[in-house]
Amino acid sequence: MGMWRPFFLALVPAAAVSVGLVVAGCGRAGASYESAESSSPAPTLNETGFFRYHAADYVQQSAGRPGGTLHISTTTDTTILDPHSASATYIEWFGRLVFDNLIYLDSSGVPRPWLAKSWKVSADGTTYIFHLRDDVTFSDGSRFDAEAVRLNLAHMRDPATRSPLAARYIAPYLRGRVVDAYTFEAKLSRPYAPFLNVLAQSFLAMLSPKQIRENPHSAIRAPIGSGPFVLQSYVPQQGLRFVRRSDYRWSPPCINHSGPAYLDEIDVDFIPEALMRYSGLASGQYDFTLEAPPQDAAAIRDDPDLVLDRRIRQGIPYRAIAFNTGAPPFDDVRIRRAVALAVDREGIVQAVGFGEYQPKADFLAASTPYYDPSFRNVLRYDPAAANRLLDEAGWTERYAAGYRRKGGRRLGAEFLTSAVSTTPQVASALQSDLKKVGFELRIVQLPQTQLTDRRIAGNYQAISAGVWHTNTPDALYIVHYSGEISTPSQIGQNTSRLRDPVFDGLVSRARESGDPALLRDLYSKAQRRLTELVPSVPLYDNYTLTAYRKRVRGVLFDTSHNTPIFIGAWIDDRP
Amino acid sequence: MKNVLHRILWRLLAGVGVIWGAATLTFVALNITGGDPAIAILGGDQAMPTPASLARVRADYHLDKPIYQQYFYYLERLSRGDLGESYRLRIPVAQAIAQQIGPTVRLALCAGCLALVASISIAIFTARRSRWVRGVSSAAELVGSSIPNFVVGILLLLLFSFRLRWFPATGEGSWKALVLPTLTIAIPTLGVITQVLRHELEEILEQPFIATARARGLSETAVRLHHALRHSLGPLVTLAGSYFGILLGGAVITETLFARQGVGRLVADATMNKDVPMVLGVTLLAAASYVAINLIVDLINTALDPRTHVS
Repeated sequence: MGMWRPFFLALVPAAAVSVGLVVAGCGRAGASYESAESSSPAPTLNETGFFRYHAADYVQQSAGRPGGTLHISTTTDTTILDPHSASATYIEWFGRLVFDNLIYLDSSGVPRPWLAKSWKVSADGTTYIFHLRDDVTFSDGSRFDAEAVRLNLAHMRDPATRSPLAARYIAPYLRGRVVDAYTFEAKLSRPYAPFLNVLAQSFLAMLSPKQIRENPHSAIRAPIGSGPFVLQSYVPQQGLRFVRRSDYRWSPPCINHSGPAYLDEIDVDFIPEALMRYSGLASGQYDFTLEAPPQDAAAIRDDPDLVLDRRIRQGIPYRAIAFNTGAPPFDDVRIRRAVALAVDREGIVQAVGFGEYQPKADFLAASTPYYDPSFRNVLRYDPAAANRLLDEAGWTERYAAGYRRKGGRRLGAEFLTSAVSTTPQVASALQSDLKKVGFELRIVQLPQTQLTDRRIAGNYQAISAGVWHTNTPDALYIVHYSGEISTPSQIGQNTSRLRDPVFDGLVSRARESGDPALLRDLYSKAQRRLTELVPSVPLYDNYTLTAYRKRVRGVLFDTSHNTPIFIGAWIDDRP
Repeated sequence: MKNVLHRILWRLLAGVGVIWGAATLTFVALNITGGDPAIAILGGDQAMPTPASLARVRADYHLDKPIYQQYFYYLERLSRGDLGESYRLRIPVAQAIAQQIGPTVRLALCAGCLALVASISIAIFTARRSRWVRGVSSAAELVGSSIPNFVVGILLLLLFSFRLRWFPATGEGSWKALVLPTLTIAIPTLGVITQVLRHELEEILEQPFIATARARGLSETAVRLHHALRHSLGPLVTLAGSYFGILLGGAVITETLFARQGVGRLVADATMNKDVPMVLGVTLLAAASYVAINLIVDLINTALDPRTHVS
């Protein structure tokens, strides 16, 4: 994978997390989505700046035919299958097969009912009351109820679970109370509006209460959920086999699918080599690949039997460089800005993305609700402006090699990377772009583990930063809030080590607010503030790239992670 | 006989030393390459664990203790035969290896046998033949032994799997799925063994006793099979023993390319993810296998060579 975790985002325009609001029903999704060519994988940017995908990608359009086995290939072994104990990307699709969540986001990112039929949030934003479905069972026969929710939240938070993600996402959760069999009350230590969003992520899915009580460790290899498929076997380094649950009838109302899945069985094989995933799909050995190789995207598009799907992941886009804003030379915002302006994104992205990636010069993924496109050109490639800024900063003299100097010091910085976090092509392209404005980028390639050590210790001038995907614009807080800087006892994602009281104020207030108009204002200001602070060099929007054979119909996409979901998928064997 | 027992005992003792040395070296190497194991245990870079989880993991794995103390904890555990729990898989290392060892052994045995049988046949056929035969054979061996495993694998795939569709590209189960991985490992090995063996055979074929055998009217095939080959088996067995390591190295690449189960892929993933107990476990397994194979090679050589028979 190369980069950090995915998550994704929600909370939206007409959203509704607010005080005392009871959510029920769904409304036809698509109401707030522009229609686009369903077969065209390219998203369109509308006048409000949101990327829109076709509503049909998120809501079932017609019933399918039951039966058959779907053969899927994926890159990595799914070593840990307890979603609360894992942070790896595979949990996103795996979770949607085997588990259900309390909440599902609709195609506009608004929290909607799933296992929770409705909910109320207290006026101070710290008490959540969930009214639960009473007809849900896990595949081991145990019942879904308020106690099951309480046990699940406790399991996420238990240090013995070693949660790399779920525990932190519910950090403000203080305690839970079983009000009655199907009513659960969650008490938070402070208002935390993204709570409902994170509850919709596969990483916070509901495990069997019996398994949590009797043998929580067994969930690592053989988790038991209430989802549309049951994990029948897991063979390390080979694959997974799932069988349909014929009594399943509680998928999220807003995806418009009722009853069990259509497929009898799903077989997933782990195929690490890109070449093998592509050839396996092209030859028909596999119906679906969860990670289509970008280098084969053009060939897949040209193949009349195949469908390619490309979807922007929500949250924080891929950043080539994170500056350490707390140390020279990048404690000077003029130098940060000059470096960001000197990078020719179009050229780099074209070279490394096989034409599949979109260059990106601002700080929130374009598919994210509350994304404000107004600032998307502020940091666009402009070497003349970069040169002016460096002149203003006093770096006016030059060495013979072309690098700038000031008082005997050369303008430059060390850039820490690893082979997986920044490809050598990207690193050397950055280096040559920066040389043109007289800045020396010294590339230091480290093993990934050492890179992580240095990142957490804050011991760098500039470093590979990667992505952060989550289903809420709270990603801005996670990646740039001053309290998220790593310390010896806490690991945080604020790799730029940004400490800006103005920005902190904006994203903290957004965490406490349920008012869409206020959120739009706060998140817009926060995005503008980042283009002033320039904590990193954004490079491109990250994608999920999947491909499948045309005979696979009814594939839907998850609104939290943009990965495929298979409840409505069926195999069309008609000639 | 006593001598042989003495020798085995001595070898075993040295073997324990080798294993301890391997354990220590790997421990030191993994620690000087850096990387906080607590972070690896809690999901690496993709993670955002709570301070409570971090503290708990550090205590559970004695990571809050000085490094020399961790080393002694590790040796003490090892002496009880406990390889520990994999950080990444969260199951005992021994169990993870046990799950994956079968396919690797099967692949290594198939590749090893193929390489041996083929190299013996080719060497016998080509030794001291016309310049033309030897030239073609040498060139093929040189090419075979200098192409990296993954290139051999991809070429085989392109031809036999993607184009001709004779063999499946990935997976396990049928014997067909074993063919291309076996060839991928066998071909480079084959090249080297054939070259060494032919050289050995050619020297032996110069010896006077060969001329005697020919004079007795034995056919050329009989001379080569019964007389020359027998005398070159010693160096062959030694060489084959030392090729074990190359088989394991080949397994790392081959198992990943063909998406096969196996210890090679297990250790590759473990190294990438700083899964210290797993890397240590596989290293010890490899060291122990080396010791065992060398012992076996030694015994076979003893049996083959009458000069080592001391009564």
